[in-house]
Amino acid sequence: MTVPLEGKLALVTGGGRDIGKAIALKLASQGADIVVNFFRHRDAAQQTAKEIETLGVKAELVRANVGDPAKIQEMFDMIGSKFGHLDIFINNAASGVGRPIMDLDTKAWEWTMDINARALLLCTQRAAKLMDGRGGKVVSISSLGSRFVLPNYTIVGVSKAALEALTRYLAIELAPQDICVNAVAASAVETDALKFYFKEGLVKDSHQITPAGRMVLPEDIANVVAFLCSEEAFMIRGQTIVIDGGTSVGPFTHVEMENNEEV
Amino acid sequence: MTVEEQVREIVARITRVDPNIITRESTFKDIKADSLDIVQALVAVEERFEIEIPDEEAQKFQNFGDFVSYVEGKAGQKEMV
Repeated sequence: MTVPLEGKLALVTGGGRDIGKAIALKLASQGADIVVNFFRHRDAAQQTAKEIETLGVKAELVRANVGDPAKIQEMFDMIGSKFGHLDIFINNAASGVGRPIMDLDTKAWEWTMDINARALLLCTQRAAKLMDGRGGKVVSISSLGSRFVLPNYTIVGVSKAALEALTRYLAIELAPQDICVNAVAASAVETDALKFYFKEGLVKDSHQITPAGRMVLPEDIANVVAFLCSEEAFMIRGQTIVIDGGTSVGPFTHVEMENNEEV
Repeated sequence: MTVEEQVREIVARITRVDPNIITRESTFKDIKADSLDIVQALVAVEERFEIEIPDEEAQKFQNFGDFVSYVEGKAGQKEMV
């Protein structure tokens, strides 16, 4: 068994559930010790920590709302004092308010932008200091809503667009410190969050319109994130890798044409 | 201020309603609180009382009275420690 991340320390925000959990377990399976950040779901995070420990690495839980700058500082103060360094920062925690544009207000805007976009800036500023002199990897989880329009997804989509732009700027400014900054953008991933926002319609449609024949799973995201955290990905900087089973490049492939004969 | 008065003041501020209309029987729907209002109220109460209210527990609250009772229980435990 290869353990390419042995001795490394990774922080996964929102690491207790769904995509964050899959990433935490994947990095742990490659030998990394994991700091699991959570906010609203302690039970799930504790379960994830147990599963991480069964893989033979350390798990540390830290509760913090990444939309709150003071809580971000406390989280990194803890990592700094307990571990003294950080190798991998996975910016996964996300939230959002699903409403039509005419129902949006500043409270919904600030809540979503603070958690989904500003947290990448504030966390990476602290993470980079803990990576100083040893290099590091920063990977964010975006979504196709950054570039395509989904119903009632405006604020989240805009926040993810900001996240992807920030990823490019961070990648360049932190390149001299050997810190690789990238993102992955998934289409609909089969998670509890998806069920919360879209009920069953989108899930059913996604099965039908994904050229790869099934929905994206949290493990699909985790596999690409793990690659971006590997030394093989050293020359990939500031990119957002799309993980969607071909949906975005073949959006009409499920449509039956009436006349397929050559003209 | 009692726990109930403090929780009422926080919920009223976040949902922008008159605190006097919030009774122990009021539901979040009654005071037109959306999901973001509820999360922000939970977070504000957690910070005020230095307690934790996981979503799994919050989802069981049927009305404002349940919310207050939970906070009273948690805040009481904390005082005993």
